[in-house]
Amino acid sequence: MEPVLAIRRVSKRFDGTQALDDVSLELYPGEVHTLLGENGAGKSTLIKIMTGIHQPDTGELLLDDKPISIANSAQAQHYGIAAIYQEPMVFPDLNVAENIFISHQNRGAIMRWGNLYRDADAILKRLGVTLDVRSPARGLTLAAQQTVEIAKALSLKTRVLIMDEPTASLSAHEVAQLFKLTRNLRDQGVAILFISHRLEEVFEISDRITIFRDGKRISTGLAHEYTIERAIRDMVGREMESFFHKTLSQPGDVVLSVRGLARQGVFEGVNFDLRAGEVLGFAGLVGSGRTDVALALFGIAPPDAGEIYFQGKRVNITSPEMATQLGIAYVPEDRRQHGLVMPFPIVSNISLPTLRRYINRIGLIDFDRERRTANEFRNRLKIRSESIATPAGKLSGGNQQKVVLSKWLNTRPKLLILDEPTRGIDVGAKSEVHAMINDLAQQGLAILMISSDLPEVLGMSDRILVMREGRQMGIFSRAETTQEVIMTAAMGQEAAS
Amino acid sequence: MTAIRRLVRPEQLREISLLILIVLACLFFSTQINGFLSGRTFARVSTSVAIITVVAVGQTLVVLTRNIDLSVGSIVGFCAYFVGMQFTFDRTIPPAAAVAMAIGVGALMGGFNGLLVAYARVPAIIVTLGTLAIYRGLLVEYGNARTVTTANLPSWLVGLQPTNLFSIGDIDIRLMAFIAIVVVLVFQLGLGYLQFGRRLYAIGSNPDAARIAGIPARRTVFLAYVMCGALAGLGGFMFLVRFGDITIVAAQGLELQVVAAVVVGGVNIFGGSGTMFGAMLGAVMIGTLEYSLTRMTWISQFWKDALLGGFILAAVAADAIILTRIRKFWARTELTLAAPVSETPEVRRAAGD
Repeated sequence: MEPVLAIRRVSKRFDGTQALDDVSLELYPGEVHTLLGENGAGKSTLIKIMTGIHQPDTGELLLDDKPISIANSAQAQHYGIAAIYQEPMVFPDLNVAENIFISHQNRGAIMRWGNLYRDADAILKRLGVTLDVRSPARGLTLAAQQTVEIAKALSLKTRVLIMDEPTASLSAHEVAQLFKLTRNLRDQGVAILFISHRLEEVFEISDRITIFRDGKRISTGLAHEYTIERAIRDMVGREMESFFHKTLSQPGDVVLSVRGLARQGVFEGVNFDLRAGEVLGFAGLVGSGRTDVALALFGIAPPDAGEIYFQGKRVNITSPEMATQLGIAYVPEDRRQHGLVMPFPIVSNISLPTLRRYINRIGLIDFDRERRTANEFRNRLKIRSESIATPAGKLSGGNQQKVVLSKWLNTRPKLLILDEPTRGIDVGAKSEVHAMINDLAQQGLAILMISSDLPEVLGMSDRILVMREGRQMGIFSRAETTQEVIMTAAMGQEAAS
Repeated sequence: MTAIRRLVRPEQLREISLLILIVLACLFFSTQINGFLSGRTFARVSTSVAIITVVAVGQTLVVLTRNIDLSVGSIVGFCAYFVGMQFTFDRTIPPAAAVAMAIGVGALMGGFNGLLVAYARVPAIIVTLGTLAIYRGLLVEYGNARTVTTANLPSWLVGLQPTNLFSIGDIDIRLMAFIAIVVVLVFQLGLGYLQFGRRLYAIGSNPDAARIAGIPARRTVFLAYVMCGALAGLGGFMFLVRFGDITIVAAQGLELQVVAAVVVGGVNIFGGSGTMFGAMLGAVMIGTLEYSLTRMTWISQFWKDALLGGFILAAVAADAIILTRIRKFWARTELTLAAPVSETPEVRRAAGD
């Protein structure tokens, strides 16, 4: 049998990272092909290339054995390639039928409502679902919205359907329904590229499996040739990098205690203690609730149940201002959106949360002292820039991260929360940041580090808390755990070893 | 070239190009209007610019935080009328009390805007469009078809308008212009040196980062509105001084001139950047055009407004298209210029190599 779509030796590079490295993949009609890999393995990049959002640097895409180039999503649609995502992209104010036919430009200038509803009904019937085509999309459940997306794909005569974590926000019952639909589509000859982090599901639905790691294809095979153990090994299977110089030390007093912390529908039952001088790693997949726990501790999205004790006292943190005053600092995941004021020079960014300290007797900002502090941090954290007057927006990712760190270290925190501290920064800067985290812990800071980078979590942490779908799966000590154990817990399997 | 570049930072280009434009416009109008380049023109233009400038300074505070205040015209009108009315009841009100009254009423009105925008989270454009009508309605209700006339005002107030502080040649710097300059200087220094000023910029350029940094964003936005209202109140007092005769349509449409001055003056309408000097230059530009077009009697009133509007569009479009490119070029050459500097031992030590 000929593949519908063949990806041949595609590579793609973004300024620091090789997102895809010489990757090939074939999709055959009537198969569910699952793509597995850790966060950052290159799955998203591949999808974006298939849907025309990115162009490959080298390599080609073949549709029915003929090379094609996909410049935008309209063209992808024209070739019969469609994608549905975890968050369905429906128009809430339009009704079901309008949503299904939203991308059909050839239905004439005048809306023929009768035909529209009849055709929409026919498509939904083919899928075997009942849904009122006249009801607005706003009130639909996520699962129903996804059904609308699938109906849309079907109406566009889609030959390749990409399903990017469609089950992540669905209940078990809804997942079963979605899988029924998926098999239905497969039996009609559609090639489906399925992405999920839930391994049980993957083995339930897949015909074939391909595993990516660090932008490379590691293996492809029939689903029954794989075991869960093998899949995990292929996903994480790299050696621990040697440049983590973790200094083990005797942790001090308990700085933070969390008991039964929960936020409705986001996370629940989070319990842990964190001592001075200790690094507690937070591992889990994207969306497992790690960041939400951090946001709760920092008062951005306060919890609605549970207790937080900070330095022995029960606290109720309701705003970032309050958290800062207690001595908690939060280095957010998204530097651009949450960390820095890009047009501001380095010096103003560093003094932003602590500006009160730089006011002189007559109420004016003391620029000299402000600059002195910024220069101190620039030397201590080795921020590479022309001067402290350089706008933050002009710095490289690694240097921006150092500015964010400086800013929060200057608040002299007792507890430092780091959310993906090394995401998007190059290897050199990464090991500098690691050394810095190690130093800070040595100086007695309590550090909570969220990271999707498994070697990083294992290399830097004293203990590792693993979360999955808003629940705490366990706390593992550094000495007694491996990447496989963490990954297994994060994906909801019983520990294999 | 290098020397100029060292003196002028890219973000100041906007102010300088505006200054050049003002000079060019004056030169052009001097060929069209008899006796344009005279002390008399300056006195006239500077008085009307003074009012726009004071209100524009307040507007800038609000715009820097990614908000807008469309009600300033109504606040100016209400305060002018309200203070004028008090004089018709009691002529012996001392000057300081009159000014304080105008500023106080303005601040109150600004505070109401601020409350709704910052704490009730209603979009600024909707709140202030509403209060634009409400404050004007209050004025109509309070005015009850009466009119403030110069005859009812105390002589010290009427005498303020032609008061000269000092003269340079035949150019008189009047009290009104002086007040505006002081307001601009005070608030410009405040933006640079006060925690409050830094907060305005931070909130406008990245609200999320500002919140996470623990900045009290709501209080800051609220205060910006209070100050904007207070300055509009001061503008109202100046309006009363300038015209003397105040009807219930006083300062109607002033908000458009003020917003135009702020935008032409290079204050980013999406917040986060801009200076008081820029807003002042914008006010000068708008005031000069307004006056000159009025003097060119062969241009009808309707065309005058259209030309003014066209100019504002051109100024903002020019900024978006041409000036951004110039600034980029400027910044690029600055970078290559700076490259050898990073090789000095001091920097290398700082970089830890």
